[in-house]
Amino acid sequence: MNSIEVQDLNLWYGDFQALKSVSCAFAEKNITAIIGPSGCGKSTMLRVFNRMNDLIEGVRVSGRIVIEGRNILEPGTDLVWLRKNVGMVFQRPNPFPLSVYENIAFGEKIHSSGTGGKGRLDQVVEESLRSVLLWDELKDKLHKPALGLSLEQKQRLCIARLIAVKPQVLLMDEPCSTLDPQATARIEELMRELKREYSIVIVTHNMQQAARVSDDTGFMLLGELVEFTRTQEIFTAPKDKRTEEYITGRYG
Amino acid sequence: MRKDPLKTQRIAFFLMFLATFLVVVPVGLIVVIIVQKGLPAMSWQFLTDMPRQGMRAGGIFPAIIGTLYLVSGAIIFALPIGLLAAVYLSEYARDNLLTRIIKLAIVNLAGVPSVVYGLFGLALFVVFLKFGASILSGSLTLGIMILPIIITTSREALESVPQSFREVSLSLGASKWQTIRHIVLPNAIPGILTGTILGLGRAAGETAPILFTVAAFYLPQLPSSLFDQAMALPYHLYVLSTQVPNVDPKITYGTALVLLAIVLFMNLIAIVIRYRFRKLKKW
Repeated sequence: MNSIEVQDLNLWYGDFQALKSVSCAFAEKNITAIIGPSGCGKSTMLRVFNRMNDLIEGVRVSGRIVIEGRNILEPGTDLVWLRKNVGMVFQRPNPFPLSVYENIAFGEKIHSSGTGGKGRLDQVVEESLRSVLLWDELKDKLHKPALGLSLEQKQRLCIARLIAVKPQVLLMDEPCSTLDPQATARIEELMRELKREYSIVIVTHNMQQAARVSDDTGFMLLGELVEFTRTQEIFTAPKDKRTEEYITGRYG
Repeated sequence: MRKDPLKTQRIAFFLMFLATFLVVVPVGLIVVIIVQKGLPAMSWQFLTDMPRQGMRAGGIFPAIIGTLYLVSGAIIFALPIGLLAAVYLSEYARDNLLTRIIKLAIVNLAGVPSVVYGLFGLALFVVFLKFGASILSGSLTLGIMILPIIITTSREALESVPQSFREVSLSLGASKWQTIRHIVLPNAIPGILTGTILGLGRAAGETAPILFTVAAFYLPQLPSSLFDQAMALPYHLYVLSTQVPNVDPKITYGTALVLLAIVLFMNLIAIVIRYRFRKLKKW
């Protein structure tokens, strides 16, 4: 089963073509890494998957992206449904200026009509914090402001906030780029845990990270998806010369 | 001859200090003089009594109450409209030539002389809509006068909420309205309140807008409906100091002191709110 299928995807920002005829399929309950130099379109592609690019004026898209049997590029797509299913973790940890508890309860607050009450909410908060291994650290600080946490805790909290919405796919846009190596290692560990239940797509600058955590890897250059295959293969026997140049450090 | 940089710096510092001093001194003097001359008039009776003997004796109670009515009326009218307009302009409206012109026009409206608002209120509310010279006309006129202040400060408050909060909220499946309601507005409230209170302070102190629309020269009774005329502090002060002969200056300065205290008190609240919330936010 594939979590996301991309067919002949093109995207323009005004006159600039940022994605050129990209086709690929992301396997379910897998970690797929997208690597490539800055400006190659990897973040753009990630943001098409939950239509966050809609926020930018002058964006045009063509092609098909099928998620759960629906082409999400169709004009009538229910964006609330899409974003509940395909959630995003951003580069900079960005908790709301609320308490830890309220951050995680946010999704529940906007999606449920208030049924289930406090007990149900407490349960969601605990489960979500447990799944990002923050519960033991934060169970006594649930009502402390989330902005007072460390960067790593903030990023975990953001992942927990996302998990509380129960998505199928987690999109991660360089989730470790503001973290130190130890924190990065622990987030990577968490990603391996999470892939049992979620399909993960991670955009990263860090090739070692892609090699360490991902099952599949795609290499992008100037808006093209140059190569997309098993991670082991791409790092040991790249088929395209440009991929080889990039992973051996002769590019970007 | 080479200039001695240290000496240049000292001269520059001295000039800047002098400029600051010149700005602060008149303000300080005004406060000192008004307090000094007005304080002897202060008594519970002065604050709660009707004016008597053609305003030469008695208190200023109806003027205080009139000002409170006018300010409340202005805010009831201006805050909802101003806030909705600000939300629309900063969250919904596309950034194009038309909205830019509208935003510029609103900023400029804040600089229109208040007497122009007074004439506008006279033409629209008093004459055309036949509200007469009344608390309703005066409140609406003051409301229109402070709308640009409320819209501009609210817009600034809304726009200072980081874009990333909106992005995250939308990415979690919240609708645009839910994002505004749960994330943007709560974080903008201190700024909105500050602007509103500053607007209120302005409304409390202006004479020209109420001159034609509500203010009564001498009305030693409290208004009983929205369509009554009322006395108000700024206009009462103007009347006392120019229209009534042989007024004890104590009463004039006492009135000035009350007006000044009300306006300063409102600004103080605005400062406290801003200070308290600034400490809370850390993004």
